[in-house]
Amino acid sequence: MKRKGNRLSRKEWLIRLWLKQAIGNREEATGNKRGNFLFSAYCLLPIAYCLLAVVTVRGQEKDWEQQWNQTLAGARKEGAVVVVGSPDPVMRNEIIPKFKARFGVPVEFLAGRSSEIVARIRTERAAGIYSVDVFLSGPDTTATVLYPEKMLDPLRPLLVLPEVLEASKWKKGKPWFVDPEEKFILRPFISVSSLLFINTDFVKPEEIRAAKDLLNPKWKGKISTEDPTTTGAGANLAARFHYQLGANFVKKLYIEQRPVSTRERRQFTDWLARGTQPICLNCREDDVRPLEKEGFKLVEIFELTDLAPGINGSPWLMSVANRAPHPNAARLFVNWMASREGIELYSRGYGSASLRTDVDESFLNPGNIPRAGVRYFDDTDWSWVVTGRQENRDKVWKLLKSR
Amino acid sequence: MSSIAASVQAGIRLSRFRLAEFGALLFFTLVMGLPIIFLLLSSLNVAPPGKEAAFGLANWSRAFSDPGTLSALWMSFLLSVTHLVPGMILSVMMAWLIARTDMPGRNLIEFLCWFGYFVPDFPLVLAWILLLDPSFGFLNTVAAALPFVQGPLFNPYSFWGIVWVHLATGGVWFKVMLLTPIFRRLGAALEEAGRVAGASSLTVLWRISLPALLPAILAVAALSFIRGLESFNTELLLGTPVGIYVYATRIYDYTRHDPPAFGEATALGSVFLLVLAVLAFFYQRRLKGKKFTVVTGQGYSTLRARLGKWKYVALGGCLLYFAVMMALPLSFLLLGSLMRRYGFFNLRSPFSLIHWQNLLTDPLFFLSLKNSLVIAAATALASVALYSTVGYLLASRKVRSAPVLELLCWLPWVVPGILMSLGLLWMFLATPLRSVLYGSVWGIALALTIKESPVGTQAFKAAFLQLGADLEEAARVSGASWRYTYRRILVPLVAPVAATVGLISFGSALTSISTPVLLYSARSRPLAILLMEYSFSGEVERAAALGLLITAIVSVMMLLGRKVVLPLISRDEG
Repeated sequence: MKRKGNRLSRKEWLIRLWLKQAIGNREEATGNKRGNFLFSAYCLLPIAYCLLAVVTVRGQEKDWEQQWNQTLAGARKEGAVVVVGSPDPVMRNEIIPKFKARFGVPVEFLAGRSSEIVARIRTERAAGIYSVDVFLSGPDTTATVLYPEKMLDPLRPLLVLPEVLEASKWKKGKPWFVDPEEKFILRPFISVSSLLFINTDFVKPEEIRAAKDLLNPKWKGKISTEDPTTTGAGANLAARFHYQLGANFVKKLYIEQRPVSTRERRQFTDWLARGTQPICLNCREDDVRPLEKEGFKLVEIFELTDLAPGINGSPWLMSVANRAPHPNAARLFVNWMASREGIELYSRGYGSASLRTDVDESFLNPGNIPRAGVRYFDDTDWSWVVTGRQENRDKVWKLLKSR
Repeated sequence: MSSIAASVQAGIRLSRFRLAEFGALLFFTLVMGLPIIFLLLSSLNVAPPGKEAAFGLANWSRAFSDPGTLSALWMSFLLSVTHLVPGMILSVMMAWLIARTDMPGRNLIEFLCWFGYFVPDFPLVLAWILLLDPSFGFLNTVAAALPFVQGPLFNPYSFWGIVWVHLATGGVWFKVMLLTPIFRRLGAALEEAGRVAGASSLTVLWRISLPALLPAILAVAALSFIRGLESFNTELLLGTPVGIYVYATRIYDYTRHDPPAFGEATALGSVFLLVLAVLAFFYQRRLKGKKFTVVTGQGYSTLRARLGKWKYVALGGCLLYFAVMMALPLSFLLLGSLMRRYGFFNLRSPFSLIHWQNLLTDPLFFLSLKNSLVIAAATALASVALYSTVGYLLASRKVRSAPVLELLCWLPWVVPGILMSLGLLWMFLATPLRSVLYGSVWGIALALTIKESPVGTQAFKAAFLQLGADLEEAARVSGASWRYTYRRILVPLVAPVAATVGLISFGSALTSISTPVLLYSARSRPLAILLMEYSFSGEVERAAALGLLITAIVSVMMLLGRKVVLPLISRDEG
């Protein structure tokens, strides 16, 4: 971005200089041979500059095209790219067939819960086996296992596609690497996360304006949550409540209000639709959307007056395994995944707002798109994931065990 | 001279026997003992991952100092015992009716038990929720229309709800599957003697058949008790909403920690080893010095008890049980796979074939199907071959290392699935055969074969215990080699058990998730992993469709198996 910024200002400076010289000197130099020569020279200067720019760009194009073609040829020779992540319908239904059709390289996707993935990779590596090329993993696994245990290679140098590198294609002015060294872990998504969902047949939106409204005795037993006593979205939200609203609020909400908890996301989505528990703390946008289409009056609440709205990097952060068995295929895959096509597939599949500027957002719930000037709580923020969340989660667990 | 030759022959036979014992012991120590030693050692390693090992008890003390651990263990024990007792009574009755009486339609009842066992748990529990939920459950809605009913009659989110669903989802089917072939092998001579002495059919069952089948019944009870302690899927769906946590859920929580806490999980899992040791002690004590031979070379007959008019009552009872416990939820499961959203009948046009279409057009489906069939067939064959030998060794009472061998065979069920999978992963990667085993269908088949060892060994051991030594002796006197005797006399006599073990292994290999989850690669992904992916990503309807498809595959195998086994049984009976 800096390099690009400097080039632009140099161009501006040249144009200004040329205008000053040309116009100023023209007046002075009318009828003067030297002045005419200078004038012609000034006229030719931008043309020469343009030519130079074209040649340079062509050169760069040739350069990336060459790299890209080499990568593609290498990937085809390697025969596959091994990607690891959570069970993922977008990967299964969209990415695998599209990537194969486009590049002729099959995607071998290993799905599992993060704990299973971690167990597998650690054991493999202890035995000297390196089977994975690319990780599409959640922030916890990425920040607390993959990065600190040095399982990754820098991803930034692998990005070659102009549409991936071009500053104007990213809302942050560049691809966002979230790790402390800013080169290993790419975050392509930034969605406003819902705080809760309500079924308006049972709960009026004006009844839940603030987080403290959830403590109304009227809602006792009417709130569902993913089990906050174990790792997962339920505990993460409770940790956030603990951090932003304090221990007393958590105690009241999770103990006194007797929320109904489950580990099965389908269960609380169904409860929400049926109105058994018309307030859902951890329902997912991609689970609720089909029910909204069926006519259920379900509303996603993004903001509460006493709680800063949140953003997250769902569905995944992308990183490349070190000693990847298919380095070219991995490079091909990460470039394509970071491109408009790859990101848009996930954006549509999960209803997540991306960080790319060229991804169609018309299909998104406007509430999911972060607004300028609003201060958000970032649930995928590195230090929050590594320390803050864990500390608050531990405090929540201690509180809940004391009930 | 001839006596010297005979003793030399016996010596060779014994040394072959020792060789087989040594081979079995070595194999089981390697594939079952080593992963567990690895897990136990890892649980004592308190160093952060990637750092040099440092040993201590921190993981153990953390796991056991959790205030919820003890209450969860107690809850598991209560649940397991509560559904074990009625489950065993029903199973013994049903196995007896199928195998030892002239109840009409007994083959159908047996087939239904098999079918019921292989219907996957997860969608079936969801079906029970649809039936019993206090606010929208079908049965509660129907009951609410009755004038004398106020409020919901049923509630699956309770202790008794969990017990009920356990009884419906394999609590009885599994036991009947294991007990029926054992009952079949029971010679009728003893029963006939009882009847001649004037005892009723039930008295004969209580005083003669059950004591004669004690080893098998105790083994099945022990298997079921351990399975009950390890169970957590049903408890997760039905117990969590009302704060019922079981011990296996605690272990599961540690394994899915971020980062995973396998040390703590192993520490908690070690309690199962203790339970196993206690069970094994009582099992041995109960059977010590007793003989359970029911099949001898003399006048073996398997004539069935005549129930008279009661046979129709028995059939009616069995069918009613199936109608309530299986047909009802199964119809909801089938319906679920045909609904746009499982259980939502109030949608506009609620039925659709879209989930079946999506399943059959999933690019991963056919590869997974092929992998699953290869894995399941290999597992079934390997289980029968391996565990018939081990069962024979254990039943022969000549094995010096029998207690150790038996303990090793139990281990795969004592260690929670994901931990066993981790142990096996470590073992596969540590062997020179890793390129063949790791990530391949053969590695998964081996892991699943190992996982099925308690069922295989216990079923075969119980079957061989029923065979009298005079059968082998008669063959030997007639000049038959041990191999010939084994192949032509013993194996045909235990064929029904072999078919049962083969089919259970086949079905379990198709449905097991926790064993292959760390061992599969994209090329060896089985259907069960695809099912897990569907369930995990909220595609319950597609999961239900796949679950039904897996059940259909197992049913076809069962029909084929019965085509082979039934003639053997009727030949015996004839």
